[in-house]
Amino acid sequence: MHTMKTQIVLLRVGLGLASAMAHPPSADEIATKSLQAFHYAGQDMSARVVMTLVSKGGQQRVRELTLLRRNSGEDRQKYFLYFHRPAEVRGTALLVSTEPARDADRWLFVPALNLVQRIAARDAESSFVGSDFSYQDVSGRPLEADTRTLLREEAVEGKPCYVMESVPKGRASFTRKLSWIDRATFLPLKEEFYDAQRELFKVFTADKVREVDGLPTATRRTMKNVKRGHSTEVVFQQIKYNVGLTEDVFTERSLRRPPGQWISGD
Amino acid sequence: MKNALIDYSIRNPKTVVSLTLLMTALFAVQFPKARIDTDPENMLAAQQLDRVFYRQVKQEFGIRDLLVVGLVDEGGILETPTLEKLARAAEQVLAIPGVVAEDVVSLATSDNITASEGTLVVRRFLDNVPRTHEALAQLRQAVFGNSFFVGKIISADGKATALYVPIQSKDLSHSIAGRIEEILEEEFRASASDTSNGVRFFIAGLPVAEETFGHEMFVQMAVVGPATGMLLFLLLWLLFRRWTLILPAMGLMMVTIIWTMGAMIWLGYTVHIMSSMTPIFLMPIAVLDSVHVLSWFSDRYPRLRDRRQTIAAVLRDLWRPCLFTSVTSAVGFASLALAGIPPVQVFGVNIAFGIMVAWLLTFTLLPASLTFIREITLSRHLAARAEVSGTSARFLPALGSFAFRRAKWVIAGATLLIAVGVIGIWQIRVNDNPVRWFKANHPIRVADRVLNEHFGGTYEAYLVVEGGQPDDIKRPEVMSYLARLQQALERHPRVGKTSSVADIVKRINFVLHGEQGAFDAVPDDQAAIAQILFLFSISGDPNDLDNFLNADASKANVWVQMKSGDNRDMSAVEAALAAFMREQPPPEGLQLRWSGLTYINRIWQGLMVSGMLRAVLGSFAVVFVLMVALLRSLRLGVLAMLPLTVAIVFCYGLLGLFGKDYDMPIAVCSTLSLGLSVDFAIHFLTKLHALRRQGTDAARANQEMFGETVRAVWRNAIVITLTFLPLTFAPLTPYVTVGLFFATLMVGSAAATLLLLPAFARFLPKPTGSNPQPVS
Repeated sequence: MHTMKTQIVLLRVGLGLASAMAHPPSADEIATKSLQAFHYAGQDMSARVVMTLVSKGGQQRVRELTLLRRNSGEDRQKYFLYFHRPAEVRGTALLVSTEPARDADRWLFVPALNLVQRIAARDAESSFVGSDFSYQDVSGRPLEADTRTLLREEAVEGKPCYVMESVPKGRASFTRKLSWIDRATFLPLKEEFYDAQRELFKVFTADKVREVDGLPTATRRTMKNVKRGHSTEVVFQQIKYNVGLTEDVFTERSLRRPPGQWISGD
Repeated sequence: MKNALIDYSIRNPKTVVSLTLLMTALFAVQFPKARIDTDPENMLAAQQLDRVFYRQVKQEFGIRDLLVVGLVDEGGILETPTLEKLARAAEQVLAIPGVVAEDVVSLATSDNITASEGTLVVRRFLDNVPRTHEALAQLRQAVFGNSFFVGKIISADGKATALYVPIQSKDLSHSIAGRIEEILEEEFRASASDTSNGVRFFIAGLPVAEETFGHEMFVQMAVVGPATGMLLFLLLWLLFRRWTLILPAMGLMMVTIIWTMGAMIWLGYTVHIMSSMTPIFLMPIAVLDSVHVLSWFSDRYPRLRDRRQTIAAVLRDLWRPCLFTSVTSAVGFASLALAGIPPVQVFGVNIAFGIMVAWLLTFTLLPASLTFIREITLSRHLAARAEVSGTSARFLPALGSFAFRRAKWVIAGATLLIAVGVIGIWQIRVNDNPVRWFKANHPIRVADRVLNEHFGGTYEAYLVVEGGQPDDIKRPEVMSYLARLQQALERHPRVGKTSSVADIVKRINFVLHGEQGAFDAVPDDQAAIAQILFLFSISGDPNDLDNFLNADASKANVWVQMKSGDNRDMSAVEAALAAFMREQPPPEGLQLRWSGLTYINRIWQGLMVSGMLRAVLGSFAVVFVLMVALLRSLRLGVLAMLPLTVAIVFCYGLLGLFGKDYDMPIAVCSTLSLGLSVDFAIHFLTKLHALRRQGTDAARANQEMFGETVRAVWRNAIVITLTFLPLTFAPLTPYVTVGLFFATLMVGSAAATLLLLPAFARFLPKPTGSNPQPVS
């Protein structure tokens, strides 16, 4: 009897495993998990970011900033960016409040003019602080904006990945996107963007992934505009999750007077 | 060598013909490798300094080749139906492969930066097509309120809008322009009922012009070339009336052209506007020697009644004069190698090669093929040949005796012509503009005219401002110098609009300060400038800045849009800048340097003037030395150069007097005509030399000269002049100019030879005792 029971349990487990293997998660499930893992990891996060803009001719421009992010319920996020370098823009600070369904609100503090300026920019697909990343690449694209198909599974540098195709429902800067999403971490390891001419124009790669505070994090990422020949590399340093950022960090007042607890002056 | 070559060709005609055909096949298989080159930049060598700099500028500031699409509606362009169509059309244009979509500048794609209720708004002008009166009024206000775009994407009168479409590579321009035309055609012409019927559209821009130019070049070669060949055939027939004699000459001409073009392609040179004229130049030149040979052959054959003997005798006699006329013509063309403009150099040397090929074939292929004609055919044909008659038989001797009798008048007249010529040359205006290479009613010229009426100008020049250090351009004194410099340039009537990074800084400063007039200026604090630029780069499309400021902000690029691409207008704008810089020297460490295609064109134009002068003087010297050597007399050498000098000076003087611009085709004609027109004098003077050596007195010699010798010169002049006339029907103006001016120069040289030489001959002293060898 005992052995028989065990056998049945084992059989059920086996069937369960078999069915799990026969039915991988749907494209939408993968996308949901990926959005969570990549853009919403932790309750909040702080990091020192070194952003290198490489022009077609190979010239480099380096921007260094402190990035604070806080998830404030129901897909909403707030970002606080404080620029340390280049020296001429030190003290410039940007506050971004995103909500998937609408254009982000942005406020910029321009120290030389002692002015906080609200910016209503074109759309979430415009360039993120002058880089090859768009605001959407940084904060995530609403799931309902695209229809997705799981194409196949394929390894990227030895890591098994789901290969997913996304096609925007409405007008977007791309007409098709292919994503290679790590089966283990759900982080996108590579993404290819195709434009209205049906040609590849942007390639994202997560160049270095490691666990920080138990959360898998892409600490170095690159967006290459293959058509124009320039690219942006972003390196995250001093990453901390769940540090206890509060709403009052993300206000106009802290734009003018950055909270020293989180942002060192240099 | 002379005898060996001629004898071998007569004895082994089959070998000679087979060898020639084999060589011809070798050259002919090169033809499919031909590459067409229509890029005006290639007027300068690849390593020329201004061109190298232009390449750097394009690379550093991400500048691409642009198609300019203009939409014009006399009733006003900012109307809902038109804007809807424009928005739809623009979206389709962005989807054309090869279009650099992010850099398209237009109402539908460009960001406007405004401030409203404390918010900086960065939006496309046509994010939403305005459908109400209020919305339309708002759009008008937005468009006309941003001076950065007025004269660029919207005309000041509101009647026209433009799309600037950068493309990835020039070879796509034809297909992209065609696709844009289809899109606009569909959007704006589809329905006849709506009000937008009044919209007309135009596509301009250098890449389109180049593509079209390449196409017209083929038309020229495929239509005008064969037409010239036919005309030549007809002329030869009129002269000889025997197919059997003409066919070898025509064959020789074909072989010459195939060898010459084949050699050029073989060596890897591209077919450029100049070299596309090679066949047409070679046609008359290649048969000149043959005309002499055939003429003498048909004269002598009836007496000798043996084709081999006749050919051998004729060729031996003609060896020296033909060698000299060929060498002088070749020298004339080869001197273009001194011109410093690669396509002109290739053309000159290539034709020189062709002339020597034709000469060689005249002494090998021609005698070989003449031996194939049966004696019976020849004797039947040539015995019946009528004596020369007609107008030339009466007119030429009359001309000769007139010039001889009225020698002083003729010489006085020539002196007067030289004086007029010199005065005219003094007034010559050096100017060229590649767009003018199209005829005035060509769609490209029409588009060019309409767009320049409405916008700041379709001719782009760049003024590159270089500081030594990174961020130098952000210095307030540099930024405000840029702004002042632009104001100075915009005062020049030919400058329609200028744009620079200073405009962007001013615009944002203005908008940030609630659009108060006082802030429509550059801030005097470097941090403020840097942060304004930072604000711009993080709020709009960062690529927008790249065209104006390099990555480390050590260099700025000022776009100068001009309403004319004339070289002299470019020079005038350069002078205006120089004057401004004298008045207001640039801040310490700042270098200003011109670039851009309009400037590049001005550079090669300048090179051409000095280069052509070098070429003309060089070939003049060489031809003079050759003449002295040939005629063994310094005095006759000088005399040989006189007629062509009068003709060239006078013809170029006429250009100056009539205000015709001295452009590339005109410049090239001078050296070419020098090499060819000296032929007339060579034939005249070699004969005169021989007669004088025999002790013939001047009047008698003159009479004899105006028999057979002058008739041959006259025939050659007619052949060479008429064969250039089909060029006047070519679709591109440089061909027309070359055709007309070259024909004029030839007529002038022939007339000067036939009038001046007899006039001067009258005053020549009796030859001295030392009898040189006869020359022919």
